[in-house]
Amino acid sequence: MNGLMLVARREIATQIRTRAFVIGLVVTVLLVSVVSFLPKIMGGGGDSYTLGLVNSQQLPLQTAAPDIGFEWRTYADEAAARQAVLDGDVDAALVDGARVLTDGEIDAQLGVLLQSVNREFKLGAAGVAIPPLEMRSVGADTRYESARQGVATVLVFLLFMLLMGQMVMVAMGVVEEKGSRIVEILLASVRPWQLLGGKILGLGVVGLINLVAILVVGLGAASVSGLAADFPPGMAGLMVSVLVWFVLGYAFFATLSAALASLVSRQEEVSSVLTPLTMMIMATYFVSFYVLNEPSGLLASVLSYVPPFSAMVMPVRMAAAEVPMWQTAASMAVMALAVLVVLKLGSTVYERAVLRTGARLKFGEVLRAR
Amino acid sequence: MLEIRELRKRFAGGSDAPGGKVALDGIGFSVRPGEMFGFVGANGAGKTTTMRIVMGVLQADSGSVSWQDRPLGADARQRFGYMPEERGLYQKMRVAEQIEYFGRLHGLSAPAAKKATDDLLERLGLTERRADAVQALSLGNQQRVQLAVALVHEPEVLVLDEPFSGLDPIAVDALATALQERCRGGVPVIFSSHQLELVERLCDSVGIVSAGRMVATGTVAELRAAEGDTLRVVVRDPAPGWADGLPGTVSVQGERHTLRTTGGDDQEILRRAMKAGHVEHFGVEQPTLTEIFKEAVA
Ligand SMILES: Nc1ncnc2c1ncn2[C@@H]1O[C@H](COP(=O)(O)OP(=O)(O)OP(=O)(O)O)[C@@H](O)[C@H]1O
Ligand SMILES: [Mg+2]
Repeated sequence: MNGLMLVARREIATQIRTRAFVIGLVVTVLLVSVVSFLPKIMGGGGDSYTLGLVNSQQLPLQTAAPDIGFEWRTYADEAAARQAVLDGDVDAALVDGARVLTDGEIDAQLGVLLQSVNREFKLGAAGVAIPPLEMRSVGADTRYESARQGVATVLVFLLFMLLMGQMVMVAMGVVEEKGSRIVEILLASVRPWQLLGGKILGLGVVGLINLVAILVVGLGAASVSGLAADFPPGMAGLMVSVLVWFVLGYAFFATLSAALASLVSRQEEVSSVLTPLTMMIMATYFVSFYVLNEPSGLLASVLSYVPPFSAMVMPVRMAAAEVPMWQTAASMAVMALAVLVVLKLGSTVYERAVLRTGARLKFGEVLRAR
Repeated sequence: MLEIRELRKRFAGGSDAPGGKVALDGIGFSVRPGEMFGFVGANGAGKTTTMRIVMGVLQADSGSVSWQDRPLGADARQRFGYMPEERGLYQKMRVAEQIEYFGRLHGLSAPAAKKATDDLLERLGLTERRADAVQALSLGNQQRVQLAVALVHEPEVLVLDEPFSGLDPIAVDALATALQERCRGGVPVIFSSHQLELVERLCDSVGIVSAGRMVATGTVAELRAAEGDTLRVVVRDPAPGWADGLPGTVSVQGERHTLRTTGGDDQEILRRAMKAGHVEHFGVEQPTLTEIFKEAVA
């Protein structure tokens, strides 16, 4: 265990000191914050109103529509208010608590709001209390559909980038050790599973650092920018399960990647030996994107139990629609099982191949040998 | 005591050797604490394969390795020091960090690894290079780091595959001294080499391997005794055919004829030589390790 930890620690220390890691982290964090502020910048002004007041009281609009911003300006007389409306300084002006002046027809949303809040306000003043209507959907909950789609898109992309990136790092590390023959002195002091496990663990932690940084910055920026107000409930749970899915998906792909990389001895051969795995990740990515459009469809349901697709399809489903707890648990269990199988297979191949430098070996032959 | 018994290893053959290639065919020898064991043999004889099996990076088909009367396992092996034939270091890692890292992998605590690293760097003259990446070092200096990696944890046993190759004469002496020190401290040292004079000078005992078999083992003196002394006679400008009928072989260099033989009547040979020409040299010589080696693998 000690050997495994030492190997993992070296991987982490080596990685986080590289310029590539630091720059990569800064760039992604910047990107994520820009994305979080983008809707605010793009759609700016749409959901806030400036209102003029002449000889009237402010209406409790804010209570009725907490998501919308209201700014009140008071004018001395109707003429001043009229001028302000025509100049575009205010969207509408309330005069004597009875008339609303606008430039052209009133914004539909604002009109309805003013009418109903005014009615309620006056009735309330007369001592009539009206309990607000309770809204209930008997179909699927579609309130947060667009927010869910956005969150899912970002998550799928994140998982794809990180899985791919860390998988390649694992492969390059394995080949570095094999090609430079340092693996021979390493294996004279630690067991193959410690060396393999330590590398996968260490680079996984580096990936998690990236992921957590992105999620924290993303959520932080979203709540600062106000975007978070549109987020569906259960975001915290979603984030935690995304971390779990990353760990599972990473363990799956990184182990296979290490096994494949142990078949070659030169860095130039890494990308060709990883081709089948890269295709698999790409396929997972595209399938997840397809699932985004139909998160509750048959394909989505089936693939969310099939490793390694489930590693991305399930988090997409969870973000894009509501998924019962037991389904998530079942899918995770199947994936964990697949990870165990891959660990067994991968470590066997790695152990047998990593000391055999020279020509490229064949996965099947190594597995069958002896 | 480190005991290697009846190691056999066959490598799966490619298309050229469908039956596979027998690399070791019953190798066995033992090394006592404080003994320096020289492992010699022609290219492809099986030295590296044997050492890899001892270090557990290769599995033997049969045979055993034991240390202190117990089968050698991963735990005990962690306290061995190993320098493989094909050197390998993390090229981008700093010298001191690298040595420390291997110290930790071999079971040292962090402060102990740090202290051992500082001491070794000092002794190997690498203190100024401690913060440099390994790839910035010359090959000879990289070799010193490689040695440091093998020594950092004060190993109980040293297994070094051609540790002297690529070193300048001064570095050879420094390494020889370092190994002798460890040896005097009771550590068994096994090293392979093609520099037989060096092996002869340093080693208490020698094992000669040929085609996967031990063909001779013992102290240098024992091997010499087994080989027998050589009589060497140098005659200047002798009459042609002077050595006809004498045992041994004659080599000619200009007007000097040298007769070498391990048997025959020395007095008779001397008489014949004096009659044939001017005798410049007449003496009994011990065989060199090179001669023993050539004889043994012939
Ligand atoms: N991985 C391998 N696959 C196939 N054959 C091998 C392998 N390693 C060694 N051999 C063969 O085993 C035999 C012994 O090789 P080994 O490397 O042990 O020799 P050596 O005594 O160390 O030689 P040298 O002095 O050249 O280093 C050789 O015939 C070699 O070709
Ligand atoms: Mg060799």
